[in-house]
Order: sequence, then C-alpha cells, then structure tokens
Amino acid sequence: MKLFNLAACITAASLLAACGSDSDNFVASPAQQNLIDTNADIAYATYTDSVETAIDLKAALAAFKLAPTDITLQAAKTAWLVSREPYGQSEVYRFRESPIEEVEGDLNAWPLGEALIDYVATNDTDFTADQVGVTANSAGINDADNGIVDGSIVTQNIIGTTQVVINDALLATTASAADEHDVIAGYHAIEFLLWGQDLNTSTQTTTNGTDRDDAVNTTSTGGQRPLTDFVSATANDTADRRHQFLEVAVDKLISDLEQVQTAWIEGVADNYRAQFTTITSETDFNQKFTEILNGMGTLSEGELAGERMQIAFASNSQEDEHSCFSDNTHRDIWLDAEGVSNSFYGSYAGYDSTLNGTDDVTTNAVDGYGIDDYLKEVGLDSLAASAKDAFDLTETNYTEIDTLARAGSPFDVQIMAANRTAQSPIAKTIISLEAQARAIQDIADELNLGDVVEDGASECETTTPDVAC
Amino acid sequence: MKYLALQKPSLARFSAVLLNAILGLLVGCSEHSPAEHIAPAYQSSEALPGGATSASPKPFVSFQLPAANLARELKSDFYAGQALAKQPWVKAPTITTARDGLGPIYNARTCLSCHIKGGKGFISDTDQVPLLGTLIRLSKPGVITEEFTQAGIIPHPVYGDQIQGQSISLAHQLRHSQKPGTLQHDVAPEAYVYIQWQQHAFTYPDQHQVQLRQPSLEFRNLGYGPLGDDTLVSIRVAPAIHGMGLLELIPQQDIDLLADENDQDGNGISGRVNQVWDVEKQTMAPGRFGLKANKPTLAMTVAGAFAGDVGISNSLFPQQPCTKAQSKCLAALNGNDAGGFELPDHLLDLVVNFNRNLAPLKRSHFKSEKIMQGREMFYALACNQCHTPSFKTGESQSFPHLAGQTIWPYTDLLLHDMGDKLADNRPDFLASGNEWRTPPLWGVGVQHQVNGSRALLHDGRARTIEEAILWHGGEAENSKAKFIELAKKDRETLIFFVKSL
Repeated sequence: MKLFNLAACITAASLLAACGSDSDNFVASPAQQNLIDTNADIAYATYTDSVETAIDLKAALAAFKLAPTDITLQAAKTAWLVSREPYGQSEVYRFRESPIEEVEGDLNAWPLGEALIDYVATNDTDFTADQVGVTANSAGINDADNGIVDGSIVTQNIIGTTQVVINDALLATTASAADEHDVIAGYHAIEFLLWGQDLNTSTQTTTNGTDRDDAVNTTSTGGQRPLTDFVSATANDTADRRHQFLEVAVDKLISDLEQVQTAWIEGVADNYRAQFTTITSETDFNQKFTEILNGMGTLSEGELAGERMQIAFASNSQEDEHSCFSDNTHRDIWLDAEGVSNSFYGSYAGYDSTLNGTDDVTTNAVDGYGIDDYLKEVGLDSLAASAKDAFDLTETNYTEIDTLARAGSPFDVQIMAANRTAQSPIAKTIISLEAQARAIQDIADELNLGDVVEDGASECETTTPDVAC
Repeated sequence: MKYLALQKPSLARFSAVLLNAILGLLVGCSEHSPAEHIAPAYQSSEALPGGATSASPKPFVSFQLPAANLARELKSDFYAGQALAKQPWVKAPTITTARDGLGPIYNARTCLSCHIKGGKGFISDTDQVPLLGTLIRLSKPGVITEEFTQAGIIPHPVYGDQIQGQSISLAHQLRHSQKPGTLQHDVAPEAYVYIQWQQHAFTYPDQHQVQLRQPSLEFRNLGYGPLGDDTLVSIRVAPAIHGMGLLELIPQQDIDLLADENDQDGNGISGRVNQVWDVEKQTMAPGRFGLKANKPTLAMTVAGAFAGDVGISNSLFPQQPCTKAQSKCLAALNGNDAGGFELPDHLLDLVVNFNRNLAPLKRSHFKSEKIMQGREMFYALACNQCHTPSFKTGESQSFPHLAGQTIWPYTDLLLHDMGDKLADNRPDFLASGNEWRTPPLWGVGVQHQVNGSRALLHDGRARTIEEAILWHGGEAENSKAKFIELAKKDRETLIFFVKSL
C-alpha cells in the first residue's frame, strides 16, 4: 500500500468514526448529489478518453516499429500529442487523494531520468560552460562500446546496455520502487524516445557555449532524434531496443490508466466512485466538496502557476518545462487549466484529435451539474459570477500562450530572458491562476467548508467530549 | 522580555532561580514547591500553535502547507521552492539541467520523499528490505583534532559521515529487475543496510504491558570495504519539517535563559546549547536544528541535506558526497552549472524559504475537559521543563509574517541527556552520545494522518507516544517515573493532551 492511500484510509477511517452517527438514513439533496455525480462523470470520461488515446498511441508505435519511416515516426508523435489532450484535463483529479495517486508516479512523473534510459547527445561546444562534462558524458548514437569515457568510468543506460532485458518487469519493478530510481516510465519516457533532447538544431549555428538561451533549441520544433535511431540492423541492437522500450512503456501506460478508469466506473460496488458518490451526511458532502475545491485550487496555484510556470519563468531555468522534448508545454498549461474549469462548469467537451485547438472527439463529453449551478441554486449568484470572471481571464491568458506557441514561439522561447516581461502571457497566466485560486478559496470560505471549528469543540467532541476522535 | 512564559508565575520563579545562579547566590533548590508544577491558565493562543501562520488541517492533514498569513505575492515562490523539494533530482547530464546532478551516491532523490508531505519519515519494521531513505550517521571515536573542528565529528575515512545507500549506477537502479551479477556497478552504493528489532515487554506497576523495541543494524554489500569495529553508528529517521521558520526566529537569548548546564537549580534537568560551525559566518555559533542541534541555521540544514542526502552541491556545501577514497564517485560526472554548483543560490533560497514557510497546523481539539486534564498532568509531571510550551518569535525584516508570533512548539531546542538506553553514543560537536535536542511536539498527534508514519524518536523505535515516553531516561527519568506511577486512565489522558498539540 502506498503512503498516500494509507493516509487516505486513515483520514477516511477517522472521519467515519467521527461522523458515523448521523449517516443513517441521510438523503443528499438533488443539488448535492448532482454536484458530486457530475464530478465523478467527468473523471470517468477523461480517463476513458485517456485510455483510448493511449491505445491509439500503441497502434501508432506498432506501425512505426513495423516500418520505421519519417511518416510513421510523425504519426507516432502525433498520437502521443493527442494522447496528452484528454490526460491533461484529468490532472485536476491528482490533488485530492483520488485513484490516480496510486499510479501517477509511473504515468506522468517529471523530470525524466533520460540519462538512465538512452544516450544524451550534445554537440561539442554548447553547454560546456553551463554543464561541466556534458560532452564527455555523451554515450554516442548506437555506440557499441556503450560510452566508455575513460578506462574506468562507464556511462550506463538501459538502451545501450544490451544485457538489460527490456520487458514489462523492467518497468514494473523499477518504476514502482518508490524513491529508489530515476523516472523511466510514463508519457515523458515515450516522449523522450520519440523526440530526443530538444537541443540546437543542425540548421542553427553552433553557439559558443556560454549562453544557455542560445544553446537550447530556439526554433519552433522539439527534439530532433534522427530516424536512424529506430532503424534496426540486428535483433536487440539499440534501435530495436528503443522499439522494445516504447512497447513496454505504452503497455504500462495503458494498464495504469485502465486501473484509474476502472476505479471511476459507475455501477461497481465498492470501487472509488461508489464510495465518492455515496453521500452519508452533510459533513460528508462538505468533505467531498472541499476535496474537489482543494484539488482545483492546488492545481491552479501551487502546481500549475507555481511549480510548473513560476520556476521556469522566474528562475532562468530554460529547460524547466513540462513536455521539454516535444515542446508541448503550452498544451500542458492549457489542458491543466481547462481541467479546473471543467470541474467548475460541470462539463467536459471531449478532446482535440486534430491538434488544431478545437475539441472534435465528443463521444464521452459531459454536460452536467457544475459548481456554478450549485452556487446559483443556493443563492450565491455573485460568487459564481466572480469565479466565472476569474476563469475567463485565465482562459484568455493561456490561449495567448498557446497562440504564440503555434505561431512559432514555444514555451521555452517564451521564457527566454528577452521575453521575460510583465506583459508575457506566461506572467499574466500565473497571476490570473492565482486570482482563480483565490476565487476557489472564496467559494470554500463562503460555504464554510475550508476551516476548522475554532470554538474549541470538534463535531465529535461536542456530544462526547471524552471519546478519542 | 520576549519569553512569554516568564510572565507566568511558575516560570517567573524558575527565572529567579536562574538569576540567583548567575549572581552566584546559590540556594538549595532541591525542594520544589507544588506551585511550580501547576499548569498556567489556558491562553486562547494555544489553539494556534504557529500563531497567525497556523494552517487548517482540512480537508487533508498536511505539514506541507504554506503559512496561512504568507503574502499572496510570495505564494508562487513558495510553490517554486516546493517544486525543487518535490520533483526528483536525476542523474546528470539531462536537458533539464536545473534538475540534474543526483548523487553519485545518495539517500533520496527528493527532499519530500523522506519528509513525506512535510511529515516524519519511515523506518522498516522488518529486515526484509534495506533502509534506503533512513540516514545512518557514521563517525570514528576519539578527540577531535583541528582538521575536524568544523565537522564536529571525526568522519569515517572511507565512508564519510553517513551511509549513502543508493547510487546512480545502472546495477543499483535496475536491481529489482535484473539477475544479480548481470550488471556491474560503476559507482557502488555504500551499503544496503538492514534493520532488526529486538522486542521486550515493559510492565507497569498495574501489570499493564507495552511492547518496546530497539534496533540493531546489519550492513550488507559494503561497497568500499569494511566499516571497522570502532565505527560509531546512529540511525536517523527524517524529522517533520513544518514550523522551522518560526523556530528559527526564537531569540537565542530566550533559549540561553532556559539552559542550565550544570543543573544549578537542582531539578535534575540541565539543558545546554550546542556550539557548532556556521559555514556562512565562518565561526562557531549556537546550534538549534537537527536531532543533536548540530546546525545553526535553517539554510545550513537544508543545504547540508541537499549535499549529503541527495548529492546536490551548493555554495554552502560545494563538495560531491564522495570521500577521497571513493575515486569512481569523484570521477563521475556532476550537474554543476557555470558557478560550480548543482543548486545555485537563487534556487537554494527558494527551497529554504519553502521550508521556512511550512505551517504548523491549527489544533482541532484544544479545550475539552479531557484535554485540560491532560494539560494539568503535562505540567504536573514537569514535561514542560524541556518541552517548553511557548515562545514569542523575534523581529524579522525579511519575514515579517513570521515575526512577533506567539508560538507553541513544546521544545526548548536544548540538548538533554536522555539516558543510556536512548543514547546513540555518537558525539556531535558538544552533544554527547547520550544527548538529544528536545523535539517539538506540535503536530505529533496527527503525524500519522499526514503520511502514515508512526515513527517517533530519532530512530523510529517508538510507534506510539506512550512508547516514546517510556524510552525517556536521564534528565527525564523523574518525569517518566511519575508517568509510570499514574493510573492507566490518567496516562491516557496525558497522552490525549500531547496528541492534541
């Protein structure tokens, strides 16, 4: 059992102990039930689309292995980008001890331990000042001697070390071993193998290695892993091993996503959804509503504005972007933010399979009962309106990041020193996400959800002060 | 006087005793009037252990929350620091250059993988898995020569001052999936350390029994030769890290006032201040952080953990975690930037400030009849003599939201002899092998709700507050003896109060 689950169980158990007395015969109001049900419906829909797009990715990878060409490589990359579209919208469920926590470390963990997976290529001058030894550490493409740098030091990676068998056990035992290893599984492992490192392209003049902004790719493309990396001459050569790795990585991705999807499916007794949608008391509803708001607020402010954007934007950390190999970070931002507003409006519009910015696959779309509906029903129209304003402003700002990226300035270019101004859409998005988080907090405050009772008595102590809670 | 408790009658008397001592007017203090052990009147601030920084424990109990009064414009920096504490450091080189440089040998890839959700770490209950996150401190016995005055210990000549049980080598990283012998280490982990617990029963006068356990270690796969029989070894479970910015702002003079190195007041308790090396000021300074109070500042605590535990070099600790005897470790490629560090100062500052702003939690229960009874006992048994309930934090230009707060951490931040049974026998600067710094008690009752950890005391031997109390000895012997004599119901009432903190 993972720690988070343990904590969740303990929390749940203590809540049960504290609040069990009024759970008999409680019937939630339609508004309460609709709110919780819709939140579960959206979770199920986004994870279902995530599973389906991951299965499409598996098919594209299989076709690529069968006939590695520029066209099949591009098709695999497109399938990866599409698979991110529904998954990104599900991330709002990560910050509330829901089923995704069990597998998230294997699915989407970052940063990737890329040097453990495959060679790390550089040219001869870039990074020399910024990154001591990076050139010497390059294992070389398809390098038979596996990157022996001097007589004694061997640079080891999985692809280049042929005695390492690449199978499901490799990822299952390594990826799930808590803190004992670098991240080698999930979306970003597949991304790294397809794109490679996002360095200077061959079309660009080699820089003198002193300026980090120049040394990374400042064009509109992501990494440029050559097709030859995937053209196998003999069984178990490095190209073959890359295909092997992609196969086991996508299989694990699908299986992890299916595990989460199953936990949210309707009509299964005792799964997470059944537990989540069974409201046992007013307190229980408040707890669940608080968890929803907490997840929305945490993703808005702490995770997205803080951990994913602020540190990259403010700390001169040029490569500190989420999808750094594919230059798809602008979509990560959009989709994370969209997931939060999905929870607010109680709707999920599906996902974008053509990558043009419009959701066209609507098979599993949800149009349900949102937090906005609930607020209006309980007479808090102005609170709903001001929250809507905050969400609208965030949308305007992240759309601007996306538009710039599509026009040739991806996230890593937008955070370059020259572009790091208060007028940057990234700066504006950070600020509006923080304002959005405050709007979410205001909802919790107004509904009296988010704080402890300060009069000295908890729910359980009020009636039986001497019973341990 | 900033030390709040001085305003209370019982401790005013205590300070008068101190004053007598200072003046050399020694008086016989062996008899204590009962008044000294009577709890002061309840103060409303006790509900908020971190003052205005106290965060809500709803919906999830966590020690990873920002101070409730942290300015909005500082929030994004808080989360940026959290990112550096939370996201894994990776083997160099990578394109995420700001995140590489792990190891070459290390204990953990992230700060928060041991301080899970800001809470206490774990220790294995069995000898089936190696202790990876748990720190094993090492040193050699003897008189500290000039060479090691800044270290405060004599490090092991090959292994240094701690066992790093992990390394970046493929053989270590993939050991769960590969047959043994398939891969050779380039840089070997220092050891896989296994723990065994010896159980024994403690029996109260009322015949109630409690199972206690104490650890012994087995070092397997030693990567760099034998440890040597005379090596001193100490197990450390990662402590909780909330409220550190408040503890940092307790004026040193208020701590000094509580010290009573030679027990001149004759109460059997002789707290003292450790004197340790301050790497920033390049001088000796009072220590207050760490299980033996061997770090003077929060910045050194965080930077030291980065360098030693994660293998991330920084300006305070610029070395890789390798000794001169570990040549492959030294030769491995690092993730240094142009300034020569894997973690430059502006990023280190973000993490230190993240830690500084981690909030203590509001108490959920604080004034019920049972808690107030337990509170009376806490003072009656003189627990408060070391677990000093309250301070007022000093001024701060840089962190005004942490300044001037009335806080309730329940520690005096002093070293105390805790008896032979709890001793690690490993001195650290002035701290003897028997001495430990009083740990704060705020949040101890919800520790397991934070992340599931029930480990208490330095090595996690205690699994309950009751067990932890029963391990108290030395200066706490009298208090423990009184606890043992209490009726079971009263013991539970005292523990109920401690849990509520």
